[in-house]
Amino acid sequence: MKRSVSNRILATSFAGGAFLLAALFLWILGDILWRGLAGIDLAFLIQNPLNAGRSGGIRSVLVATLYIISLSIVIAAPLGLLAGMFLSELCHVYPRISRLIRQSLDTLAGVPSIIFGLFGNAVFAQYLGFRVSILTGALTLAVMILPFLIRSVEHSLRSLPAYYHRSAQALGLSRTTIMGHILLPAALPGLSTGLVLGIGRALAETAALVFTSGYVARMPGSVFDSGRALSVHIFDLAMNVPGGSTNAYKSAAVLVALLLIINLAIMALGHMRNRRRGEPNGC
Amino acid sequence: MVSSYRSIVSPKTLAKFGAAFALAAAILYGFIPESGHGEQNRILLTGSSTIAPLAAELARAYEKAHPGTRIDVETGGSSRGISDIRRGLADIGMVSRALKPTESDLVSHLVARDGVALIVHKTNPVDGLTSDQTSALYTRKIANWSAFGGPDQKVVLVHKAQGRSTLEIFLKYFGLSDDDIRPDVVIGDNEQGIKTVAANPSAIGYVSIGTAETAIEHGNAIKLLHLDGIAASTAHVADGRFPMTRALNFVTKDTSSPKAADFIAYAQSDSADALIRSLAFVPPKR
Repeated sequence: MKRSVSNRILATSFAGGAFLLAALFLWILGDILWRGLAGIDLAFLIQNPLNAGRSGGIRSVLVATLYIISLSIVIAAPLGLLAGMFLSELCHVYPRISRLIRQSLDTLAGVPSIIFGLFGNAVFAQYLGFRVSILTGALTLAVMILPFLIRSVEHSLRSLPAYYHRSAQALGLSRTTIMGHILLPAALPGLSTGLVLGIGRALAETAALVFTSGYVARMPGSVFDSGRALSVHIFDLAMNVPGGSTNAYKSAAVLVALLLIINLAIMALGHMRNRRRGEPNGC
Repeated sequence: MVSSYRSIVSPKTLAKFGAAFALAAAILYGFIPESGHGEQNRILLTGSSTIAPLAAELARAYEKAHPGTRIDVETGGSSRGISDIRRGLADIGMVSRALKPTESDLVSHLVARDGVALIVHKTNPVDGLTSDQTSALYTRKIANWSAFGGPDQKVVLVHKAQGRSTLEIFLKYFGLSDDDIRPDVVIGDNEQGIKTVAANPSAIGYVSIGTAETAIEHGNAIKLLHLDGIAASTAHVADGRFPMTRALNFVTKDTSSPKAADFIAYAQSDSADALIRSLAFVPPKR
């Protein structure tokens, strides 16, 4: 009797905590979307900014943001997959290098983003000669999100049961087959989690992008042009442009919506393959 | 066992990934010619984020009048503007202060002024304050309007949030540090400051003078305070008499390109006035 009461109290407090967390998330989300989305129409999305961003829309800014984000995913995802596989599968073979890589990654994950910005400006913009451009911004963000990617790929590979390897070897499967059909699908959910974490950080990034992808609000003609990201646009409207707060709110709502869409898409991609194979995804 | 593990990242796989990366890099490099041409018609400005929105709007207007010219504006602070000019990375630097004696190797071109004034509610009988009185108010050494002949009311301090350029001008002018100030209300932009003071008869705040003048014309219940006996007006900012201001400069090396000189001349002409005012700055007396 006593035990069932305490059990129930415990269960209720767990549920309460989870409910509180969900409510908090919905509150923040609702506030931004309610304040911002109210004023957003199609014209806001398909017009270029005018009058320092106070009138017109955010077309060129949105395009630059999508360029930067997709390019950084294209650069970071393969590197993250390979490095994650290395750390989970080969750490016994190269223990010292693996330890060094892990320590570097954990340090990198905690480095303030302005440092990445100055690094990106010095290396990609000046030394490699890409100037302040979308490419420089994407490379900088790729370096920034790699620690998240690699670690989460590594973790999802480590959670694989050991008999997967043994069974595969017992069946005489080739090395490429093991990699392509067992390790890669197993790493995908980790890759998508890492991408979601990384992109969340990347989309919110202002400090690093001001020095790398730039401030120019013109429609970018190529990845070698400077392009203003949404976060930079929001910061500029809120801090440097008198009377810019209305459009800053609208742009923030678009940024949140964009983040949700990208995250849902990546999660869906990450789990699609496993679902097709009838493997459990957890709850 | 170990040998089979090593195989996962086999040379063959590595080669495949390497080829994929090389292909991607090659595709990216295909874009180069597009951005490379017309280099002599490009002007690059870097520096102060306060000036950047103004410079970008001036650039857009100039580009419209001079087809084929392309002006890019990048930010990163006044010190970046100085260092980029010195290293030849930019054509024009944007610096939101007067040049220091150690920067005499550079030439500054005044584009606009940024003035900050104290505001109170329209019904407040106090017309002006001295610098000492203002410091005493903001450090809470004086906390009641009666000390200045006003009503027996507690002063409500309206202060700006960190990172605002008006905050920097205010603190620098009075020699205060942000830690010295315990405000009642912290606000973001100038409009918010005007609304807050207009709604509270015992409040004092500080905003950009241009914005305050426009707000008063539109009937907001605020008034601008004299500072050390000088009336706060855009006219007094323009001729340099009002003290709590800073200069917004374009900075070049002596050997500036004629293109840059032409754009600077445009930024210093009367045609720039409307844009300067639209960003709450004051065109200097020409």
